[in-house]
Parts: sequence; C-alpha cells; structure tokens
Amino acid sequence: MIDSARYLLILAACAAVTLPLEFGLGARVYRRPRTLAAVLLPVVAMFAAWDVVATARGHWWFDDRYVLGVRLLGLPIEEWLFFVVVPVSALLTFEALGQSARRLARARVSDRRSTVGDRHAR
Amino acid sequence: MPGEYTLAALAASVAVVGLELVLFRTGLFREARYWVTVAIVFGFQLPVDGWLTHRSAPVVSYNEAETSGLRFPADIPVEDFAFGFALVTLTLLLWRRQQLRAWRAREAPAGNGARVGCRPPGAGHA
Repeated sequence: MIDSARYLLILAACAAVTLPLEFGLGARVYRRPRTLAAVLLPVVAMFAAWDVVATARGHWWFDDRYVLGVRLLGLPIEEWLFFVVVPVSALLTFEALGQSARRLARARVSDRRSTVGDRHAR
Repeated sequence: MPGEYTLAALAASVAVVGLELVLFRTGLFREARYWVTVAIVFGFQLPVDGWLTHRSAPVVSYNEAETSGLRFPADIPVEDFAFGFALVTLTLLLWRRQQLRAWRAREAPAGNGARVGCRPPGAGHA
C-alpha cells in the first residue's frame, strides 16, 4: 500500500461501505444535494475551526508519511474530507434505518389487508 | 489529568445536546433510530479511529498533556468518542431540522396544521 494514501484510503473505505445504503437500501442523502450542503456547511465550518485551532495549539498532529501532503489552513486535505465522509455516513445510516422501519410498517399493513381480502374471497 | 482536548470534547458534546433541548427541539433524542445510528457509528469508529491512532504507526498523534491520557479501546483517546458524538449529533440535528422545515412548508399553506394525527414523516412517537 502507498503509505501517503493511507488516510485517504481509510476515508474511501468508509464512503464505499456506506454507499449501498443510498443505492439499495433506499436512503436519500446524496440525492438531496441542497439539503446535504445546507447541513454540511455549518458542520464542516465548526469542526474544521476546532481542528485548525487544536492543530495550531499542538493538541494533535498528522504524520506526513500517511497523508498526501496537500494542506489547507494547516490541515491535511484528508482531514477536511473526514468532516464530509463521516457526517454523510451517519446520515446514510440514519436514513436507511428510517426506510427500513417504513418498509416494515408498510409490509405489516399490506399483510393485514391481504388477510382480510382472503377472508372476503372465501 | 484533563487537558484542553478533554475539556473541548466535553464542551462540544454538552453544547450540541443543549442546542437541541433549548433551540431546535426536533425530538431527535426521542427517536430510537438516532440512538441506533450513534451505536453503529461508534461501532465503525473502533476500526477506523483505531487504525488512525494506533501508536505503532499513527496517522494522528496526540499531545498527552492535552488529553486525559485514557486511551481505550486500542490506542483511541477516549476524547475522540465525545468528538464523534458531537460531530454526528450536530449533523443529524441539522438534517432533521431541514426535514421538519420542509415538511411544515408543505403542510402550512394548505391549512392542514390542525389535522388530527398530523405528524411529520418519521417523527418520534414518544
């Protein structure tokens, strides 16, 4: 594995693992780009601000071996991506859970209806 | 000894919870799927954060003076879980607020607000 791509690959894995929730389990997150942007903007702003200050104050630091080397306000580009990938993964999980619950409720209703229908048919 | 990261992580978590309880009032904390989401996120945080912070080859290193020094499980600083909780909770709060706003905007002009059993889709039952 290319060492400098390590952080990026970890993020790519997160995005890849959660992608089927959108295309398969019915979560609609990527397909609501405007809502998503309105949510991500303040989240990225606040947490990146925290991160910039914490990095500047030496609370934590990033090993140059494991990042691509592109930095923005002192943070590796991967760290900025982290504040997009992790919130999107959480939203996909939350929405997929909502979809599953709705599908389950609908299945129960149609199950009840078909039982009633059977009785009428007899 | 708690350091600045410890205090910041605690403050962020308290601030996000306060934001919901005082300002947003979306009802997110009464939704079971919110807590399931938090549990799943923590589950995935173990391999991801564990990989990022493990001491043999850390992508991210911490100034021990600014943390509690507690690193569990593996080499994950416990503060990271509060950081993750605040990040994910703020995201879900803003998302839920957007959804409720859109729902109200659709319902309000029709004057259906008083309809019995009228409830935003996916809203908690508590």
